[in-house]
Amino acid sequence: MTNKSGYFWKILNIDATTGKAIAKPIDEAFAEKYIGGRGFNAKFVYDNLKKHGKINPLGPENLIAISPGPLCGLYIPSSSKTSLAAISPATGTYGDSSVGGSFGVELRQAGYDGLTITGRAPQLSYLWIDNDQVSLIPFPKIKGKTALEAERMVKEHIGDHAVSVAVIGPSGENLVKYACINCDWGRNAGRTGMGAILGSKNIKAIAVRGSCDLPVFDLKRLVEVSQKAYDYLRNHDMLTFWQHVGLMSVIDYANTHGFLPTNNFRDGTFSKVNKINADEMIAQGHKINDTACFACPMSCGNVCVVKNGKYAGAAVEGPEYETTAMFGSNLGIDDFSAVIKANQLCDELGIDTISAGNLIGVLMEGYQTGLLTLKDLDNKPIEWGNSEAVFDLLHKISSREGIGDVMAEGALGLIKKYPKLERIISHVKGLEQSAYDGRGALSMALSYGTSDIGAHHTRAWTIGRELEEGENWTHEQQAELVIYHQTLRPLFDMLGVCRLPWIELGLDEHCYAEMYSAVTGKKATLDDLLERSKHIYNLTRTIGIEHGLTSKDDLMPPRMTKDPVQSGKLAGRKIDPTDYKKLLDIYYQKRGWDKNGVPPKEKY
Amino acid sequence: MQKRLTVTPERCSGCRTCEIACSIKHFNVINPKKSAIRVMVLYPNPIIRMPVMCSQCRIPKCAEVCPRGAIKTDEKGVVFIHAEECVGCQMCVKACPFGAIYLHEDLDTPFKCDLCGGDPECVKACANGALHFVPEHIFGQDHRMSNVLSYTKMKEIEYTLHGEKKQLRYTEIGDHKNDK
Repeated sequence: MTNKSGYFWKILNIDATTGKAIAKPIDEAFAEKYIGGRGFNAKFVYDNLKKHGKINPLGPENLIAISPGPLCGLYIPSSSKTSLAAISPATGTYGDSSVGGSFGVELRQAGYDGLTITGRAPQLSYLWIDNDQVSLIPFPKIKGKTALEAERMVKEHIGDHAVSVAVIGPSGENLVKYACINCDWGRNAGRTGMGAILGSKNIKAIAVRGSCDLPVFDLKRLVEVSQKAYDYLRNHDMLTFWQHVGLMSVIDYANTHGFLPTNNFRDGTFSKVNKINADEMIAQGHKINDTACFACPMSCGNVCVVKNGKYAGAAVEGPEYETTAMFGSNLGIDDFSAVIKANQLCDELGIDTISAGNLIGVLMEGYQTGLLTLKDLDNKPIEWGNSEAVFDLLHKISSREGIGDVMAEGALGLIKKYPKLERIISHVKGLEQSAYDGRGALSMALSYGTSDIGAHHTRAWTIGRELEEGENWTHEQQAELVIYHQTLRPLFDMLGVCRLPWIELGLDEHCYAEMYSAVTGKKATLDDLLERSKHIYNLTRTIGIEHGLTSKDDLMPPRMTKDPVQSGKLAGRKIDPTDYKKLLDIYYQKRGWDKNGVPPKEKY
Repeated sequence: MQKRLTVTPERCSGCRTCEIACSIKHFNVINPKKSAIRVMVLYPNPIIRMPVMCSQCRIPKCAEVCPRGAIKTDEKGVVFIHAEECVGCQMCVKACPFGAIYLHEDLDTPFKCDLCGGDPECVKACANGALHFVPEHIFGQDHRMSNVLSYTKMKEIEYTLHGEKKQLRYTEIGDHKNDK
């Protein structure tokens, strides 16, 4: 019998302590309410929180949920996304991350709508999901291997180079609080320390192989709707440009508008931007290939290599905007080949480039302004633009050596040890801010402040629009835009597709509702789906509140409120805390939350 | 005129939309494991992505080893596995030097590329121009061209047109008549 229902109706539950794997059924009401991906994950994390009361993020009780959405793997532009969620070791509250590539496609083909892992394996192991055969395989000799080497070893151990592997580097094993999970060689679930959670479970890798047909209710209809979307994207004027440089194009855009993080977010423009931008990448012949996630015509990924000079031989799937900004301008590094090298190191060691670049910037400024002494830095000075010192620090973070051990604890750990640094760290809820300066647009600050996982840009990216057309926006308009983004963008993570065709090339978001209906056979409009996404946002917020977050945790860090941008279009701009608080109150009101930012009690 | 499917691997982004299109066309399902084209991704060393599919060989090894003679070439040069004669022994799968014949546990017989009756879906699905369906006689054209363009004795004249710097490149009869 062909399965046409849109789901496999099974979640794979792994108890790493016993190695037991159970495929737990889900029902129709559950699938309809939570859709999949981020929706499923949030519910699993919430239920686990209810079961335990309080959760130690790195304890065996923490549950990591990994779910692709119901559209993942299908004939839909960039149907590649898998969401991961857990109580984050970086923030101590709800954290999630998503990844492209094809890991989720393979997991669905193995016959599961999601995967959860709890417990702790007695030995360092990898999880091997081969359709319905699931086993936890002890593999101690993989200890300490870099992510890419470990992926190769797992594939060799299995004897199939085509399986999809999600893997952690040494940073994950060493519980670095912003360790990432590397999938399919170079795609990373970067944020909120999901890699540390796998590390805490003694699971170095998850390998998946599946062969099932993907369930689609009405394939003919799906192809019809998707073909229109593909045709739209492939005929788009900007497609070739996009394939050519991808997200690297944002470097110049951010610099021109004045929100490119420079020298630890002190400034918003970088005088040597032309040494780290897309033109430099192309002119120096660094880019050798396009690379794309599953089913994506946009291929925003670049494969870059360093052909000569002291970093010759460095190669990486990347770098994209965030990494280049955080390791380039934010650290005062004006050498794109050093950025490539840093990105490769982060991938190999398994560290999130955003958090690492942010914290190294803090260290550089801290040292140069006297907040840190040479002794604090293990007697190695670290100046702006010193790339060798940056590489050295990355190794130390990963192996938790000297100052690296403090940095491995993330923003909150660094502040705990050196309270003076709080003044210069850009973070919200303990998650280091990503590469868009929140001082540029009040709505962007609100987006960081109210993001359920902390200062990350995926929930709502409003800075471009506010700077281009929002000069006279009211607080109401700002709050509404943030809420719309925070509702629509997470929906992509629930469905299992990438948001870039929509945000970058303007694909009409309504087509995703048509796709959802064709795949599941359940009629739904975009508004219906947004309603469900809003429900999930309230759920993740509730997890935060139950884990002790208050409206204080939605506020901006001192760097954003006290230090004006030094140069460029936004020179002199900073966040006015009173104004921000006003906006926050309006936001709570529009959300239907109380004045402390607590959502109404709903049944989850 | 016989046309062939060919690949420019350096243009392949590894997105595998070709695999989806192939499985829809041949089996009316979305399942990359039921595709007759497969993108091989190698990283980090070497770095290459290479779609693999049947070359429609003139002397097909698969047909040579088939104990039932179930693999035949049609008048357009397309190599077919005739399911009704196939016993599913998998000899052809092992014999193909390119690994371009596939098996799946849902299916009784091996499957391979049949060029979709002359209008390959994978080519249409490729957004990066890595797959081409072209007449045989133009094969090697790109190589010939890049070889010519890299001819080391090419000379250059630089000039400015409407403020833009341009180059004219050419070769000239010189005094190196005995060059081999």
